[in-house]
Amino acid sequence: MSLLVAGSAIRGLPVVTIGGGEDVAEVRDLIYSPEAGRLVGLTLNKRGFLAGRRREVLPAETIHAIGRDAVMVDDEASLIMPEDSPAELAAPPEGRDVTGNEVLTEAGASLGRVRDVVVLVGSVGEVVGYEIETASGGTGYIPLPAQLAVSGSALVVPESTREFVEDDLVGLGAAVDEFRSRLGMK
Amino acid sequence: MSERFAAASGRRVVSRTSAEELGKLAHVVVDIKRRQVASLVVGKGRKAALIDWDQVSGFGPDAVMIADEGALYSPRDDLERDAADGKLELVGKRVLSDKGNELGTLTDVAFDPETGAIETIVVGAGEAPADSLLGAGSFAVVVRSPAG
Repeated sequence: MSLLVAGSAIRGLPVVTIGGGEDVAEVRDLIYSPEAGRLVGLTLNKRGFLAGRRREVLPAETIHAIGRDAVMVDDEASLIMPEDSPAELAAPPEGRDVTGNEVLTEAGASLGRVRDVVVLVGSVGEVVGYEIETASGGTGYIPLPAQLAVSGSALVVPESTREFVEDDLVGLGAAVDEFRSRLGMK
Repeated sequence: MSERFAAASGRRVVSRTSAEELGKLAHVVVDIKRRQVASLVVGKGRKAALIDWDQVSGFGPDAVMIADEGALYSPRDDLERDAADGKLELVGKRVLSDKGNELGTLTDVAFDPETGAIETIVVGAGEAPADSLLGAGSFAVVVRSPAG
């Protein structure tokens, strides 16, 4: 079963070991590659109120699953020191945070501003869409092609994205598949 | 015939040699990897003692018979202390699937009173076979995700 979850719903989830049943950390933030549309990994906090940051990070490859209620890992060894992790996770390039960026179509129409990422969870954690604040102040969801152009301040999406702006995550699920098949992907 | 943790809790524990009641069954400790009852906790609080499953001579409907009072032992390390305090108790724990979704609260465990083998775990209104058990700790019991 796969489902779509906004990044905000993943932040704060407990990280739980499958073999041990222990909550070893919680999600601080998502690190993802906007160009590749892929979750790179998670940064972590210690468990508990005001417990502070954990130095270790969780590369996407070692995540067993991201669910509604928890991020599952095999054991605590899945949490690794930043110096042992891929560079794009340990030190993400500047300007990678697309939150607040304007979404422009190739024809030059503005669809709104990015508020959050939408991740397909259940397995690897693919970034499949963005939650945007539309010009009228409402919330919209747009599907992403697997790759797109990103600058520090804007991202450019295919013109056909306009037809696929959805007002809820349920609608986005169907839209991602249809949108990508239209673009000739998968 | 299978037994259930909830029904067995509070049952008399009696020595077969002296016929004396040694206390009430407080907790059942499970070896998750082997899906097997590892030991029983008899009594509560400071008087809580453990007995290994292989020293249990009969797990009956009215009493749990053990070979000898001498087989009861006080907790010897932190893990056994946690067991005696009921911190390893499965019943009442939250159940997570390995996909990270909460399935409910574990309400009971069915096991074979002859062998101590775990048969099923009861989660809310549903049941899961013992071989879906993946791990258990202070935070949650983890089970293999139901198909789909």
